[in-house]
Amino acid sequence: MSIPPIPSRAEHLAAWRESGGKLCAAFPAQYPKELLWAHGILPVEVWDPPLAATRAPGHLQPYICSVVRQGLELLLAGAGDEMDIILFPHTCDSMQNLASLVGDYLKPKATSLFFYNPKAPFGQPAREFYLDRLFALDRELAGLFGPRPEGALEQALAWSRTLSGLYAKAYDLRAAGGLAVGAAEFYAVLRAGEYLHPTAFIPLLDAWLAQAVGQPSAGERIVLSGVLPGPEDLLESLDALGLVVAHDDLLSMSRRLLYPPPGEGEPLAALTESFLEMPPCSTRGSSLAERLAWLKSLAKLSKARGVVFSVVKFCEPELFDLPELRRGLKEARLPSLLIEVDVNQAAGGQASTRLEAFREMMA
Amino acid sequence: MSLSAKAKLSFMKDLGFPAMLSLQKAMKGKRGPRKANPDFGPPLKCAARLKEIMMRHYYLARFAPGAKPVAWVTSGAPVELLRALDFYTIYPENHGALCGAQKMGPELCQVAEDEGYSADLCSYARVDLGHMLSGKTPAGRLPKPDLLFCSNNICQTVVYWYKVMAHRYGVPLVMFDTPFNYGEIKDDDIDYMKGQIKDMIPVLEKAAGRSFDMERFMAVAELSKSTSELWGLCLETMKAKPAPMTIFDAFVHLAPVVSLRGLPVAREYYEILYAELLERVRAGIGAITNERKRLMWDNIAIWYKVRDFSELFAARGMNFVAATYTNAWAETIQHLDMSRPFESLAKTYSLVILNNNLEHRLNLMAKMVEDYAVDGLVVHSARSCKPYSLGQYDLKRILSERLGIPAVVIEADITDYRYFSEEQALTRLEAFFEALEAA
Repeated sequence: MSIPPIPSRAEHLAAWRESGGKLCAAFPAQYPKELLWAHGILPVEVWDPPLAATRAPGHLQPYICSVVRQGLELLLAGAGDEMDIILFPHTCDSMQNLASLVGDYLKPKATSLFFYNPKAPFGQPAREFYLDRLFALDRELAGLFGPRPEGALEQALAWSRTLSGLYAKAYDLRAAGGLAVGAAEFYAVLRAGEYLHPTAFIPLLDAWLAQAVGQPSAGERIVLSGVLPGPEDLLESLDALGLVVAHDDLLSMSRRLLYPPPGEGEPLAALTESFLEMPPCSTRGSSLAERLAWLKSLAKLSKARGVVFSVVKFCEPELFDLPELRRGLKEARLPSLLIEVDVNQAAGGQASTRLEAFREMMA
Repeated sequence: MSLSAKAKLSFMKDLGFPAMLSLQKAMKGKRGPRKANPDFGPPLKCAARLKEIMMRHYYLARFAPGAKPVAWVTSGAPVELLRALDFYTIYPENHGALCGAQKMGPELCQVAEDEGYSADLCSYARVDLGHMLSGKTPAGRLPKPDLLFCSNNICQTVVYWYKVMAHRYGVPLVMFDTPFNYGEIKDDDIDYMKGQIKDMIPVLEKAAGRSFDMERFMAVAELSKSTSELWGLCLETMKAKPAPMTIFDAFVHLAPVVSLRGLPVAREYYEILYAELLERVRAGIGAITNERKRLMWDNIAIWYKVRDFSELFAARGMNFVAATYTNAWAETIQHLDMSRPFESLAKTYSLVILNNNLEHRLNLMAKMVEDYAVDGLVVHSARSCKPYSLGQYDLKRILSERLGIPAVVIEADITDYRYFSEEQALTRLEAFFEALEAA
């Protein structure tokens, strides 16, 4: 299976800029990208920029996670100056303070915007608050770039619905054993959505899905949980070892992509309902019971026989949930493996050896 | 709640604990007084009363189950709502500090780590989880919670930590979500928090087995407000030269405002402490005998090093007269307004230092440097506490440049001394002492 040509991040951003579009560096994890699209802004997500961390350690202690470190490194390398805005959703303590560090002290040319996501449980006050936050962000964007064109938000939601359908199709096919691609290819394609505009990404995803349908390689089926799919060598190891990622519970992937599509009602209210119904997530304050039930349901749905946790070092939201999740999975006769990773650093041979042992244990 | 449990708690409160205390005092009398350190002024007389209050709190806690609903609470949660429903409250962070001071941190952390909790997680949480898994505590025995109550105004960590406890203990978790103030607090934020308070009351009532009484809540809130105000006044006495107490004293004396806020005993204690501090100021009695330099501390205490650091600095005529940490339980209480109880409660708890942007902290610290005539700043980079620590490198640099005062960062942890390098800290401090003397 060959991956259709995916425009590089640099190419796509340059083309977007040339067409008069605005750019937003969007930090992890959950934010209303539809609002940005509606204002003619392309969100470019900052998860794991491939840079050597040389400047960021002057601002951050060694016990801060590599997602935050790499994000700051990117801004210190001047990327923030190429953006119109930098958006910091409220994800965790470290991301919260990074936002303040950038906004208060480092002050790049781009305007820093902050977006507070309410935390579970999501009662009526959270629903109203999230809607208020959407209105506030809409006003902020209009204040910076002028009012959004009429019908733009409706168009953005239509893209969102299409994308939601394509993501669901990709995940459903994979879970049912109907995708003839490995983890490395699956995530390489889906991660293009972190910077491609829907007008470019929808046809790409559609075309890829059409040719990706088929029998997967034989192997032990697993659910991949954690923050990001990767590092790359970890995905390659999974593929090479015959560990088939049948589903995932990754913060950057299914926890954000498998959202219920926004309905046809008032657009911001529809986005609110979508947000509240997203899958359980450590960063949203979901209970351990919800997360455990979700993980077990993913394993059942995809006939996975084990769970691999690929967790970024120092990631508190994930690390706190792990022991109880693993205990619950064990009770459900689902073995699990924990691999701690740093973004942009190879997982290495040791991880590969442990994955191999894990596969043998499951066999 | 059972009558026999209530009777037992009452008996222990009125007879059991006083008897135990008398026995302890008699034993202590036989041991004789501790040798005085010439670098320090006379110790605070009310320290004995503080010890008694906290001992009583932890001792009676073990008799609370069945007599009162028990809640475990975060230090920044609006406990007034629980007090109005007669909950017996336990503060795992305060317990963590106690374990840290008793140098039990690594032992309890290890228990949690053996269960799979990463050594990179907050050590207050690991200590607490270690206690949950092993039952070990220097406080004798802690009662199991009927309810967990947390607010993320101090960190998101407490949410993750309390979720684990809720899962393990199988009890309800009530979370008070306080939107982080990237700039000024917004009306939407206050409405959201007010809405949550209204929604949580039926959950609290169910766990307490009684109805929420608004009048009782108002009385508790008044008590809480006056307690925090008194604590603020106690801290303000350290503007005097020499300061009548050190921040190392304050780290210990803040226990009642953290753990017993909203109860008469806390206010009564600070009335005594304040009177004593005023008397010391009038008499010119300093916490240290030769106060030459005045310092400010940023972040939570290094609990296992409080005494060592206290002696290290006092020997050099250096006294900590201000800290962002101790100030946190006094700095926002002026917002509590009984004419708008829930709205003002939301504002009071949302505006605390750790729920505000770094610019806010910078301005607050700059003001404290001025108000307390601070000569130097010691920044504790606590690997346990990311919201307190991330940003400190820049904060230290900017404050030092803007105010022209020497500053130093010490890398350590609040309770887990496996992450503290004495040698490295002392090397940094020696350079800081030199800069301070040259300034």
